[in-house]
Amino acid sequence: MTAQSMNPVVRARSLSKRYGAMKALDGVDFDIEAGRIVGLIGPNGAGKTTALKAILGLTDFEGELSVLGFDPRKQRTELMEQVCFIADVAVLPRWLRVREAIEFVGGVHPRFSPEKCRAFLAHTKIEPGMRVRELSKGMIVQLHLALVMAIDAKLLVLDEPTLGLDILYRKSFYESLLSDYFDENKTIIVTTHQVEEIEHILTDLMFIQAGKLALSATMDAVGERYAEVMVNPDKAEAARALKPLNERQIFGKSIFLFDGIERSRLAELGELHKPSVADLFVATMKGTYA
Amino acid sequence: MSIAWNDSTPIYRQLRDRVVAMILDGVLKQGDPLPSVRQVAGDFQINPITVSKAYQELVDESLVEKRRGLGMYVTEGARDALLKSERERFLREEWPVLSARLARLGLDLKQLMGESKNEERK
Repeated sequence: MTAQSMNPVVRARSLSKRYGAMKALDGVDFDIEAGRIVGLIGPNGAGKTTALKAILGLTDFEGELSVLGFDPRKQRTELMEQVCFIADVAVLPRWLRVREAIEFVGGVHPRFSPEKCRAFLAHTKIEPGMRVRELSKGMIVQLHLALVMAIDAKLLVLDEPTLGLDILYRKSFYESLLSDYFDENKTIIVTTHQVEEIEHILTDLMFIQAGKLALSATMDAVGERYAEVMVNPDKAEAARALKPLNERQIFGKSIFLFDGIERSRLAELGELHKPSVADLFVATMKGTYA
Repeated sequence: MSIAWNDSTPIYRQLRDRVVAMILDGVLKQGDPLPSVRQVAGDFQINPITVSKAYQELVDESLVEKRRGLGMYVTEGARDALLKSERERFLREEWPVLSARLARLGLDLKQLMGESKNEERK
C-alpha cells in the first residue's frame, strides 16, 4: 500500500459516511494494490462493513472512491462484473437447490464458470440436488465460496466469511482460497475477528477504530516498525522512558511493545520478538469500549 | 497443516530453513520438484509472497532452480554444497564452543565415542 501508485485496485480519499450524528467513516485515505491480501481489522462498530459496502457500491458516501477505476456510486454494474463478495449473513434462499444456485449465478454473471464451481463442490459433501436448508452452516459457506471462486473477478471482498464456523471449515476455507483461487492478479479484502488465524496470510494490515484508520501498512513494514521486548525488572524504567505503546506482565517480567524504536537500542533491554497481530491490535485499540 | 512459527525470525527464512533441512536429510533429493507456491501457501496458510521469497532465497543460494513452465527443482549437487557449507559453519562457529566446553568438563573424544557405542549396545 504505497502512497503513490499508478493503478491501485482501490483508492480512497477522505472517505466518509454518516448515520445521523454518528460518523461511521471519518475521512479515511488508503490505497490497495493488485495482488495483495488485505486484512481490515477493527472492533464491532468501527466502520469495517460500512467501508466494504462503500467499495461494493452498496451505500452512499462522501469523499472520493475509485474501485478498479470505477466509481462505485455511478458504475455499479461495470464494477460488479469484476468484484465478488461473501457477506457474514447468508443470502441464499433456503428453498434453493445447489444445482439451481449454479444455474442462477451462471445466468446473471458473465464471468462465472459452472464447470469450475462443480469441480470445487466435488471436494465437498454438497450434492447438486440438495436444498440450501438441508446444508449446515459450514456447507453453506462452502457453497458460497465455490460460487464465488468460480467467478473470474479481480477483487474479492470477504466480510467475516468464517463467522460461526468450526476450525476445520475455517482452515479449509483459507486453504482453498490460497491454493485454488488467489494469484498475483487478484486482490482480496477480508474482515475477521479471528486475526491470529489469518495473520500469516495477509500482505497488508488495516486497523480501523471509530471510523478512522489507526494503522495501514504492509506486513513487512509492520514487522520492521513494531517490536516486542521482554524486559527484566531492573531495566523496566529504561524501557518506559522509550515510551512503549503497551506494557504487560508475564512471570515477573514486563513485555513492552514499541513502535519505530531502533532495534539496537531495544536489544539492550532484552530479547526482541515480532508482536502478533492480535497483540498489536489490542495495544492499538486500548480504551475502545471504556 | 498447522505449523508453529517462531516470532524471532521471518517466516520466509524459517520456510527456507525447512527446505534446507529436508535436502540435508535426503527427504528432498536432487532433481526433486518443490511443491508449487500455491500448494505451500494453502498447506501452511501463509501468503504466497512469503513462499516466493523463501524459494527465491534458495534460488540465490543455487540450491534450487527454476525450470521454465515446470516449477522449482532441487539442483544437482545441492546436498553436497549444503553439507560442505554446513560443515564449515559447524567447524567455524559451533566446534570452538563445543570443544571449549568438553575441555572444561574434562571429557575427551575417545571417551565420548566409547560412551556412544555403549548407548548403542543397550
